Amino acid sequence: MTSPVLLDLAGVAKTFSDQVVLAPTDLSILEGSFVSIVGPSGCGKSTLFNIIAGLLEPDAGDVTLQGRSVVGATGHVGYMLQKDLLVPWRSVEDNITMAARLTRKVTAADRAEARSVAERYGLGEFLDHYPKALSGGMRQRVAFMRTLVTHQSLLLLDEPFGALDAQTRLDMQRWLLDVWRESGRTVLFITHDVDESIFLSDRILVMSPRPGRIVADLANPLARPRDLDVLTEPAFVALKSQIMHLLHGGSR
Amino acid sequence: MKRAWVAKVMLPLASFAILLLLWQAVVVVFHVQGYIAPRPLDAIRAVTDNWSLLSPLVAQIIKETVYGFLLGAVIGIFFGVVMSKIPLVQRLLYPMLVLSQAVPVIVIAFPLATILGFGSVKPIIAIVVWIVFFPVTVSVIDGLGHVDQDILNLAKVYGASRWRTFVQIEVPATVSPLFSGLKIGATYAITGAFIGELASPEQVAATGSSLALYIQHAESNLDSPAVYGITLLISIIGVAWFLTVSGLETLATPWLRRTTVRRWRRRTIAASPDDH
Repeated sequence: MTSPVLLDLAGVAKTFSDQVVLAPTDLSILEGSFVSIVGPSGCGKSTLFNIIAGLLEPDAGDVTLQGRSVVGATGHVGYMLQKDLLVPWRSVEDNITMAARLTRKVTAADRAEARSVAERYGLGEFLDHYPKALSGGMRQRVAFMRTLVTHQSLLLLDEPFGALDAQTRLDMQRWLLDVWRESGRTVLFITHDVDESIFLSDRILVMSPRPGRIVADLANPLARPRDLDVLTEPAFVALKSQIMHLLHGGSR
Repeated sequence: MKRAWVAKVMLPLASFAILLLLWQAVVVVFHVQGYIAPRPLDAIRAVTDNWSLLSPLVAQIIKETVYGFLLGAVIGIFFGVVMSKIPLVQRLLYPMLVLSQAVPVIVIAFPLATILGFGSVKPIIAIVVWIVFFPVTVSVIDGLGHVDQDILNLAKVYGASRWRTFVQIEVPATVSPLFSGLKIGATYAITGAFIGELASPEQVAATGSSLALYIQHAESNLDSPAVYGITLLISIIGVAWFLTVSGLETLATPWLRRTTVRRWRRRTIAASPDDH
């Protein structure tokens, strides 16, 4: 029943000019799980992401992915931000295959996969379009497909739906759950939105600033598959209340 | 599409025609003396009547403009890339490049002619290069310096090498700023060629004369129609070159105007077996 550990952080810490951005942090993420991190600005969640992705080197501690240390190395995770970061001069298809283009020669198999992913998730007709012809939600979908075809088992998603309107965001969340279930990837998901974290995840890490640290590690009891009706279940509301108290201090 | 064409080509031509008509009207209505300002038709005739004499000189100045522009663009891009990739080089060279532009071109024209040879076309092209490379270098440095850091980080997370990041991300992101510099260079290139010809105290050997010498000669003879006609001709060449570079920009940046990639770029999509 229990999956093996995919990602393990041991005593990972980071200080920027005398400010402890991330206090020594231990964290294990199981393969195939969906884990959210919620917390206010400055709680060190993006620092944590950048250390895992290899953009930052921690001052102390070790990061292992599938048992292999990846400290300061890159090329081992899928990574997506609030900004879609599609390049305007490439078609949707060429944006999806961007990771391949940046590391080696793009093959016919890469292109075929990009086409099949786009067709499967409703963007097949837009393969030859430039990104500017797409809506914000479609662009984020393309950005996610680009992340998906990197074939990394760990996907780091940093507020990917943060810039979308509420309706589109909900559609994207449901879509992401479908894709996640089908792809069997492990997702580490940063968000400001407590509802989003509960709706999506198996486990929610609550972080707090000064110094940046994980203050709570909560299991999500809600059954899967989930749809919109879970948003009003008592278990959902209870968990939301618990997280809100952790984020904003006790009841006023 | 048809409307855009009208707006882009017909309107500028119409405004040019109106300008000529106004000129003609002012000269006729106010009885302006011919040696002060000729009628536009006289100016045009001064060019067309002497076309067999002028055409090699026109070809000459176009050659100087285009060669100087191309060489200036290449040198400008080279400086821009090297300076933005090696900060030390940028700090050393940037003040010198600015200094080079602060010196009036006409001042450097004579030493250049002395160094590169009187009567040769080389000092003229060198002056065009001198004028063109600077805006190109500045635009390349700005372009490469303003590539979205998040996209560069994304490439890094994917494990991209510096070279591939440069080719796949930084170069295409710099195309639009580069063309801003190229268009400025294209506008000034013809002026550079003309100043070069003026500064060349001997005739350009290949044609035995130059457009600048021709216009100087006309000025000393108070031949206003010729002076105005050639001025018109030179500005038309300048505008034509600017439009050519603008056209190249349109070809080089299809994503700014189009919704989909051009058909010949869609080969992979057309090859899809389940395509309708």
